[in-house]
Amino acid sequence: MTSSTSPSVSRGFWEETWKRFLRNKTAVVALIFVGFLGLVAIFSPAIAGTKPIVCKYKGKLYFPALGYFRESWENPIFVKDKFFKKYARNLPRKDPESWAIWPLSFNDPYRVVAENEWPDRPANPLGNESGPSKQNWFGTDETGIDVFAKMVHGTRIALLVGFVSMGIATTIGLIIGAISGYFGGWVDMILSRMTEVVLCVPTLVLILAIFSLIREPSIWHTMAIIGATAWTGISRLTRAEFLRIKQSDYVAAARVSGISTPRIIFRYILPNALAPVLVPITFGIAAAILTESSLSFLGFGAPPPNPSWGTLLSSAQTNHQLWWLVVYPGLAVFLTVLSYNLIGEALQQATDPRLRERGK
Amino acid sequence: MDSDTLLKIDGLKTWFHGESGEIKAVDDLSLTLKKGQTIGIVGESGSGKSVTSLSIMRLLPPASARIAGGTISYLGRDLVKLPEREMRGLRGREIGMIFQEPGTSLNPVFTVGEQVCEVIRLHEHVSAKVARERTIKLFTEVGIPDPASRIDAYPHEMSGGQKQRVMIAMALACDPQLLIADEPTTALDVTIQKQILELLASLQSRRGMSMLFISHDLGVISEVADEVAVMFRGKLVEYGPIESLFVSPQHPYTKGLLACRPRLDTPYRHLPTVADFMEIRGTVETGLQLTEKRVDPVRFQELTAVGRGRLYHPETPLVTEDAGKWAPADAATVPTGQHPLLSVHDLQVHFPIKRGLFRRTVGQIRAVDGVSFDVYRGQTLGLVGESGCGKTTTGRAIVQLVRPTGGSIQFSGNDVTRVGSTEMAVFRKRVQYIFQDPYSSLNPRLKVGSILTDVMMANQRGTSKNDRRDRAAALLTEVGLEADHLDRYPHEFSGGQRQRVSIARALAAEPEFIICDESVSALDVSVQAQVLNLLKHLQNTRGLTYVFISHDLSVVKFMSDMMAVMHAGKIVEFGPSDRIYAAPRHEYTRKLIASIPDASIETLVSRIRERAQCRKSHY
Repeated sequence: MTSSTSPSVSRGFWEETWKRFLRNKTAVVALIFVGFLGLVAIFSPAIAGTKPIVCKYKGKLYFPALGYFRESWENPIFVKDKFFKKYARNLPRKDPESWAIWPLSFNDPYRVVAENEWPDRPANPLGNESGPSKQNWFGTDETGIDVFAKMVHGTRIALLVGFVSMGIATTIGLIIGAISGYFGGWVDMILSRMTEVVLCVPTLVLILAIFSLIREPSIWHTMAIIGATAWTGISRLTRAEFLRIKQSDYVAAARVSGISTPRIIFRYILPNALAPVLVPITFGIAAAILTESSLSFLGFGAPPPNPSWGTLLSSAQTNHQLWWLVVYPGLAVFLTVLSYNLIGEALQQATDPRLRERGK
Repeated sequence: MDSDTLLKIDGLKTWFHGESGEIKAVDDLSLTLKKGQTIGIVGESGSGKSVTSLSIMRLLPPASARIAGGTISYLGRDLVKLPEREMRGLRGREIGMIFQEPGTSLNPVFTVGEQVCEVIRLHEHVSAKVARERTIKLFTEVGIPDPASRIDAYPHEMSGGQKQRVMIAMALACDPQLLIADEPTTALDVTIQKQILELLASLQSRRGMSMLFISHDLGVISEVADEVAVMFRGKLVEYGPIESLFVSPQHPYTKGLLACRPRLDTPYRHLPTVADFMEIRGTVETGLQLTEKRVDPVRFQELTAVGRGRLYHPETPLVTEDAGKWAPADAATVPTGQHPLLSVHDLQVHFPIKRGLFRRTVGQIRAVDGVSFDVYRGQTLGLVGESGCGKTTTGRAIVQLVRPTGGSIQFSGNDVTRVGSTEMAVFRKRVQYIFQDPYSSLNPRLKVGSILTDVMMANQRGTSKNDRRDRAAALLTEVGLEADHLDRYPHEFSGGQRQRVSIARALAAEPEFIICDESVSALDVSVQAQVLNLLKHLQNTRGLTYVFISHDLSVVKFMSDMMAVMHAGKIVEFGPSDRIYAAPRHEYTRKLIASIPDASIETLVSRIRERAQCRKSHY
């Protein structure tokens, strides 16, 4: 009974899955793209903006670019000193000793950059001359705001919508699915009917209805509503997995060995149920991004000054000749959603035992 | 080529390409099948026997397998090079095939008649009416009762044996010259297996067709084959007429295979294994080196002497009556007055049948219906019966995986159906269960070490994390694995090794009593012998008490002191296992014993003579 065939290094299920995932080249490209978007989202103020990343002002170091994440993270001293958000002009004027490191592209996602705000920089163009140029890489929209800056900062919202809403959905789905699958009987009956009811609610219509009721709809409301309706698929899958695994011999063996119920659920069933659930989560992220874009397109998304890919698209509605308003944000939505779907498909292939066998 | 040669395989090489390079599933196989002859291919899982049949039919998965060399000549045509179109014409029409699982080989949405008719009409231009008539005739031939009405039945309305008969009818639909039967009886009960084997043998001689019969069981092969090919890890190790193979096996592997199967009249207390006959060095990738070991008479003497003799129930007429005729000399009885460790009384487990919107109970399935038996400390009780007889449900009811409907289960004086949670925890420590399928009974996400220490933690065994880990390592060595297997995942082990892990897990709670539920049924014969030996060894060293559940009468007879034969939820016969084998009293027990493939030399010779007679009359 020597184990000549066993490998020297033991690989667990997830390591094995990762190895299989890596073999799918398109999915790896998709994953790199999503990672790249994540970096863009995190470093968006350093990529496009009119606020310095770091500056020395009156002997102290400040990070005004953080203001793009949250207004209050911008030091109040700049308001007190009446900068009016025009750092490039006001910094050397108010403190000749000062220095600053500027973002890659000097453009603002919220407002039009005026003439000479940056030394010798003309104002953002308007109308038909506003196509892509050295100054505005992706052109400007009908009000003259830089499209590139808007898209870079819009990445934040797109990714946030995906992650937060699916985070909510996953939590609800796993809990409800696990409870109804493990306990079965009446509990399962009630929870399953509830799932079916939620399944019938059209997300978009529900969001529109709720937005008409609340006074100040924000992106967070959108995420919460998507999260509260998108968990049904996850819960149904979890339930099915729990039903199946509950019957398995190794759970029976654990029970005979006297292992406690919570331990059986969390250590024996849940890890085995997780793999198939991952797939609808990735697809869900893609769907959530698409929903948010659709909402913004219809004009119900993130309220105006907020940059969003969908809002950009909707502004293209009225300006047909401004093709850059369609192409760039459209491409961004398309590639992101495609990437998530490719990742989901590859995950399915890497975790599904039947597809796994075929790959051997 | 010889005029009466039907199929000639020459130097066949079928390779699979996987992640770790080429796997030589079949490596240089040569066989010659004459018209009207049956060749049995025997081997363990992974020996390449099924791949051989798929190679002949050209049904290999195209993405991962290829025929790397050799020829398969069927009546002079090389099947390896035949275009797919012509191959399609051959399949079903000239070469028929039966698979292992009759349940999954039939399409559930069509009636069985439609499926057989379709095969006929696919190959021959006949009207639907003619095809139907021929199907009814075929059904009569394969022994389906009332064929004219069963032809319109759906697969789920038939039993496993009947479905296999339909599969045979389908394979025979176009009068093939060659029938390939790939483990056709493995999924069936022994009594059904007997019927199917008889059917195949009679069909073969009546129709004068050739048969390639694939099985892991030499006993089954002996019932039908004229010649036997023994395969081991892709290579043909022995090939010859069946009687010479049984009388004087040449290759050590064949010798091992013949010896390691527990026969009903085995003299051994521990079984010889293939490892007693040969040594395997190297791996499949680098080339295997098989060296024959000198058969050591002392070792075989040991196998009959080590361990204890039978331990029967206390002296009552049940064990003393006619004991001289059947009891071995070394048998002992439990002293009178000792209390049984486990006493099951009138156990009933009924499953409700629920129908309709409100899930009202409309009937009951009496899975276990009034079962009573005692097991004394240190004994092994065998529970034997066919699928659906309630033996597994009985075992699961004892460990409270299934709630009994009625009756009592006394474990050392306490009724476990009525105890509270603290007493239940004590009971869990003392009674463990070993499952049938080593592939599904281990949590795939936990390393072996965690699987074992989890059980210890739940049962308060071991004082610290390190102590438990040391104990787990010791357990692994005890069951014949290595201590560094602690950090491996279950999927890295072979079936036999996994079953050893399952045994180690059961032992981790340090129980006195273990229920083995078909614990060796999923294993290859040679591995089965090792695991049976291990179980016997553990019983001796740890003083364990077993309930051993199996459908295989010879395995149960080998393992147990007392035996209970179950049928339809009831125990039909109970007594010392030697007595039940030597002098069965119940009709059903007799039928079970008669169904076991008889591979004794005398029956073998007479069977071959019979077949030769039959063939002469045919030509």
